[in-house]
Amino acid sequence: MNIVVPVKLVPDLVEELTVDASGSALDTAWLRLIINEFDDHAIEQAILLKEQSGGQVVVVSPNAEGVEDMLFTASAKGADQLIKLNGDFEDGVNNHGLARALATLLRDLQPDLILTGVQAHNDLDGSLGPLLAQYLEMPYVGYVSGVTADSGKVVARKEYPGGLIAEMEVTLPAVLGIQAAEQPPRYVAISKVRQAMKTAAIDEQEAATLDPSGGPTVSRMYQPEATEQATMISGSEDEIAARIIDIFKESGVL
Amino acid sequence: MPIRETFWNIPHWAEIGQYILAVLTMVIFGYGVFRRIRRWRQGQPERRTDQIGKRLMAVLTQAIGQFRTAQDIYPGIMHLTIFWGMVALFLGTAITTIDWDMTHLIFDFQFLKGGIYVVYELLLDVLGLLLIVGLGMATYRRYVTRPARLQNMPVKRLGRDDAYVIISLFLVAITGYLVEGLRIAVVKPDWAPWSPVGNAVAAVFTALGDPTNRVLHLSLWITHGLVAFTFIASIPFSKLAHIFSVPTNIFFQSLQPAGALAPAGENSETGVKEWRQFTWKQVLDFEACIRCGRCQDVCPAYASGLSLSPRNMMIKLDTHLWERNGGSSLHGDVISSEELWACTTCRACSEVCPAFIDHLTSFVDMRRHLVIEGQVDAQLQDALANLGRYGNSFGQSERMRAKWTQPIQPKVKDARKEPVEYLWFVGDYASYSPSLTDITQKTAEVFQKTGLDFGILYEAERNAGNDVRRIGEEGLFEMLVEKNVAVLDKCAFKTIVTTDPHTYNTLKNEYPAENDHTVLHYSELLDQMIASGQLKFTKKLGYKVTFHDPCYLGRYNGVYDAPRRVIEATGCELVEMPRNRDKAFCCGAGGGRIWMEEGEVKERPSEARIHEAANLDEVKVFVVACPKDVTMYQDAVKTTGQETRIAVKDLIELVHEAL
Repeated sequence: MNIVVPVKLVPDLVEELTVDASGSALDTAWLRLIINEFDDHAIEQAILLKEQSGGQVVVVSPNAEGVEDMLFTASAKGADQLIKLNGDFEDGVNNHGLARALATLLRDLQPDLILTGVQAHNDLDGSLGPLLAQYLEMPYVGYVSGVTADSGKVVARKEYPGGLIAEMEVTLPAVLGIQAAEQPPRYVAISKVRQAMKTAAIDEQEAATLDPSGGPTVSRMYQPEATEQATMISGSEDEIAARIIDIFKESGVL
Repeated sequence: MPIRETFWNIPHWAEIGQYILAVLTMVIFGYGVFRRIRRWRQGQPERRTDQIGKRLMAVLTQAIGQFRTAQDIYPGIMHLTIFWGMVALFLGTAITTIDWDMTHLIFDFQFLKGGIYVVYELLLDVLGLLLIVGLGMATYRRYVTRPARLQNMPVKRLGRDDAYVIISLFLVAITGYLVEGLRIAVVKPDWAPWSPVGNAVAAVFTALGDPTNRVLHLSLWITHGLVAFTFIASIPFSKLAHIFSVPTNIFFQSLQPAGALAPAGENSETGVKEWRQFTWKQVLDFEACIRCGRCQDVCPAYASGLSLSPRNMMIKLDTHLWERNGGSSLHGDVISSEELWACTTCRACSEVCPAFIDHLTSFVDMRRHLVIEGQVDAQLQDALANLGRYGNSFGQSERMRAKWTQPIQPKVKDARKEPVEYLWFVGDYASYSPSLTDITQKTAEVFQKTGLDFGILYEAERNAGNDVRRIGEEGLFEMLVEKNVAVLDKCAFKTIVTTDPHTYNTLKNEYPAENDHTVLHYSELLDQMIASGQLKFTKKLGYKVTFHDPCYLGRYNGVYDAPRRVIEATGCELVEMPRNRDKAFCCGAGGGRIWMEEGEVKERPSEARIHEAANLDEVKVFVVACPKDVTMYQDAVKTTGQETRIAVKDLIELVHEAL
């Protein structure tokens, strides 16, 4: 099975986030990037699948600072092919734009299965998985926490709120949004990563012009503001709902 | 004139039979030794042939003098009596052989006659008795008092080996005395009183009279011969092999500083996965283990109820190696990961081992394999990932590393920007742990008040890697060393000072030695400043305190006196805990344990230690000299409910208060 895992780097919340002078984006001077946690699980799930039923794993990531280290780490874990997607990702690119760029690349790779993190904390225009599925015209299942391979299909375990789990057969090729791998992402020793740096190659691909259309435009970015007042609404469910609708109308959102 | 009449009452055929048996015994013995040496040689190469003089001296004091063996009184006396009893009997036999088969046979001359002979008889008789006393002590201990450290053997059949050694030695000694007594009973030489034991035995048999005693004598002489030759032949095949494997192990011990762990072997870069990857010295270690269990008695992991016993590790590894794996895998079947991760690397085991076994190199080599395989618990994985990414185990930004300096005036110098005399390597815990900020700031204040020219590396400092290395993450250790060395190389300083013994150990013993700076623990620096008069106290504190020796300061680096002198200089009265200095009991945090899931423990080592201190009369302060100790023991006084009884204080707090 040919598994492709598109991943991205996101701001590391260990550093304090600041808004730049434009007031609509993060200040990149102090920004440190880290692999999106859910993408890390997607890589783990892909490697688990490979270990269980063979195949190969390709990890793809848009270029950013630290992307090589991240890709080599994936290689040390067992990824077979590493692709760095070059393009103008710095400025204003959103998941719509990224998904379009990835879709072009992914068509060439002819994957049986695409695993990606179900979400990232910097998703402003929805998560990547469904967009990819749409552009590639593949089925999508999100919030997956465990995948088993079968011939021509996979069984995905999807978690629902309230502790329900559904097992669903998905015909391949398909895109799955991974919430958690069957096992937590493994530790990979630094010596293995260093070995991968010597032996593994990163395949660089150029992205076509990015088209972010469909996503929102950020007009203002700011730290959460403390609210000055809170109103407690009491009554029956219907009364509360009616009151909330009134409040929305009063404030002009509805 | 008294003379040794060898082969009295022995027919010629029996004499010839004895020589044939002797040759056969030597062949079997030789094969047994060869078999062991061949096995050592299957290990990976390791150089241990430097400083021959020092090595021979160690054999002299520890294999023959047995100073360490003797430190434990009862088993020490027991072993020494058996040892010297056997040495005497062996030398006695050797002297007889020279007297009879060389000087008598070739030159027709015997030196065992007259005064020399009677003294010889007396000495042998009395020293032989020592052997019996020692064996009695051994039997009583092993089968009556049954100390815990001799129980619970992981390989049951070794119990037979233990019994065999005692029984065969008893038989050798008793048949020997019987043969002597029977000869005296018949011959009745004038000098018989010079053999007090033999003479006493003779008294019992005299009544039987000749020829019964002659027949008895011959049959016991044959029995004694058979027992003795069997004993000698069995040496390399039983626990008795320690007679040569322990001195060999003492000879080949590492003469490197205890704190310098060997790098991952070239042939086993990925650690030890299977027995063939151990070095020959590690194989020798397993073999030298005599199963005395002293290590188990002092092991904090074992004491806290975890599955690790250093003794059992050695026994299991030795058995596994003899089986040439026997279809079981080293990891999992023989040694569990729980055992390996339980070790705090406190080195109490090696410090107390009479066979000078280096347990930790094998443990760490096996841990290296677990790390390569990614078999680390979730908590440890987080810590390692953080250390790799941020250079500290707290998972905080390096920009927060020097946050504790903010209120300090004048500002602490940045050693990267200006030359300083002392470079203070602060370490992770002292830098990041919120509960230690106050102590770290007080340290800076003391340094400033005494006019010390010092600076720190601010955000460029990384965890020094001591415990990362002992976890078995050699690659990460190397990376941390590279980063630290890169920044240290750019700084101008004379001495590194640190409050953390772990950091101290690796900087002093494991970092590349090209820079000629010294590394000091703050206790050493304070001690020096007190001696030179740079640090003067205005107050005498007058507390009654006890001091906990950090493993990596004491056992690893032999710094015992400096912190004690500092404590006394502050006007405190120091009361020692029963386990102090090289016997100090580990807090349980070392070797990366502080980053791991704790496992099922009965009593934490830190809690056991607090109980030990609480038993000291009127001691109110538990003084530590390690940031991790502050964390560990402040927790332990709370969990043991001793908070009101004992206060945990860092050495610097006493100094700060007495200024």
